[in-house]
Amino acid sequence: MTRTQRLLASASVLAAASITASPAFAAGTTSGTTITNTVTLTYNVGTVAQTPVNASDSFLVDRKVSFTVSEVGSATTSVSPGETNVVTTFQVTNSSNATIDVALAAGQLSGGTTTHGGTDDFDVTGVKIYTDSNNSGGFDAGDTQITYLDQLAADSSKTVYIVAAVPQGRSTGDVAGVKLTGTASEATAAGSLGATITASSGANVANQVDTVLAEANTANGNTAYDGIDFAFDDYTVLAAALTVTKTSRVVSDPVNGATNPKAIPGATVEYCIAVANGSGGAAATNIQVSDTLPAQTQIVAGSIKVDGTVTGSTCNSDGTAGGSESGGVVTASLSNVAAGSTRTLVFRVTVN
Amino acid sequence: MKRLIALFALVAPVAALAADNVTLSSHAFVEKVKPGPNGKPVTVLEEPKLVTPGEKLVFELSYRNQGAQPATGFVITDPIPSAVTFAGAVSPGAVYSVDGGRTWGPLAALRVATANGASRPATAADVTTVRWSFPAIPAGAGGKVSFRGVVK
Repeated sequence: MTRTQRLLASASVLAAASITASPAFAAGTTSGTTITNTVTLTYNVGTVAQTPVNASDSFLVDRKVSFTVSEVGSATTSVSPGETNVVTTFQVTNSSNATIDVALAAGQLSGGTTTHGGTDDFDVTGVKIYTDSNNSGGFDAGDTQITYLDQLAADSSKTVYIVAAVPQGRSTGDVAGVKLTGTASEATAAGSLGATITASSGANVANQVDTVLAEANTANGNTAYDGIDFAFDDYTVLAAALTVTKTSRVVSDPVNGATNPKAIPGATVEYCIAVANGSGGAAATNIQVSDTLPAQTQIVAGSIKVDGTVTGSTCNSDGTAGGSESGGVVTASLSNVAAGSTRTLVFRVTVN
Repeated sequence: MKRLIALFALVAPVAALAADNVTLSSHAFVEKVKPGPNGKPVTVLEEPKLVTPGEKLVFELSYRNQGAQPATGFVITDPIPSAVTFAGAVSPGAVYSVDGGRTWGPLAALRVATANGASRPATAADVTTVRWSFPAIPAGAGGKVSFRGVVK
């Protein structure tokens, strides 16, 4: 701060206001701005107007570093076992009065309660961080993998994704918790991550920009005023729980016809393969069933039916023609089986 | 020697005219809350060595009439710095302008234009300039006026 007293030769009564940046945003006056107060005194001696007197006084606005990492969406990301490119979304907002870099790190929970109330019991794999480079509002091929946010301006935000893969073999209700940590860093040069920002230590110096770490978040285990902010999100598995049941019944035989038929040579036997999907899970899709006929049987041509239903444990005779048989192997596709429902593959053979 | 004295005699009155009859200074302080002697927080005014957006400032304007005559029509005018929001005068008797010093009045009497040709009462944040007037400051007398601001 400087104090000066000066005599002005001109008769200007209103000294010009100080030339400083006038910010309109929450981050406030840009770090390094000089605030100058200029005061003017006019007076007379007797009836004679005297030369006005000016005085001014300046000081620097210092750097207040503050930013937030927050979870976007307020809900878990629902995933299937084996799914790749599963995304949890965060937003990083710089509320400092200066541009900063933000170093980013993605971590995973080891047990404990996750941010949307699940119990963490597995880890996702291949964890990477991306930013929504093309501002599409979602993770897509146009987004860039990053390890830090470069030159994040005061009062600006960037959307950041944690992207990973889900291992096979997980069940409905399994949860993987993830954490995104940001560390305020100097924005020294575009294209490279600057050093971690530290608060100015020792006595504050006039005419030098000092730094204050001002991020006050203490939620979810955050420490205030340490230049670090983190937030959590989670992935919850929604799997299909399929049970496959194969049953058979003798339909007719050459001797008894359809009345109490026996499994004797020449008899017709109907096989039913029922694919049941447990309730509360995901629909099962892309279902392929293959079944090898017993050596002593022959397929009854045209008897293969797909997408039939069951009543209790009995296969109904509904279903539409489909599937095929070749070399003693029946293969068929079934339509998607929703959670809590069953579809059947039914075919008939004759006993040699 | 006589010539030299005569020269000084010529020079001295000119110097007296050019001397500061009144002195004026501006001193900014930043308000900080610190733990006091009892551990309870106290508000102190410090030199503005560490100032960040949102902090409270106090500007002290000090004046003194060092001349031999009273100074009359004494008017101190201070335009609020553009990076500071005016937050009230500490010293009584201030009048305000919200239009850069063209018109003046008590804050309650001032209005600012809004959209569509309407207007609303002015608030402290609208003040562009603050001014104090004293009819006469006797020789040798002085004082200070001060006002508050907040760093934008």
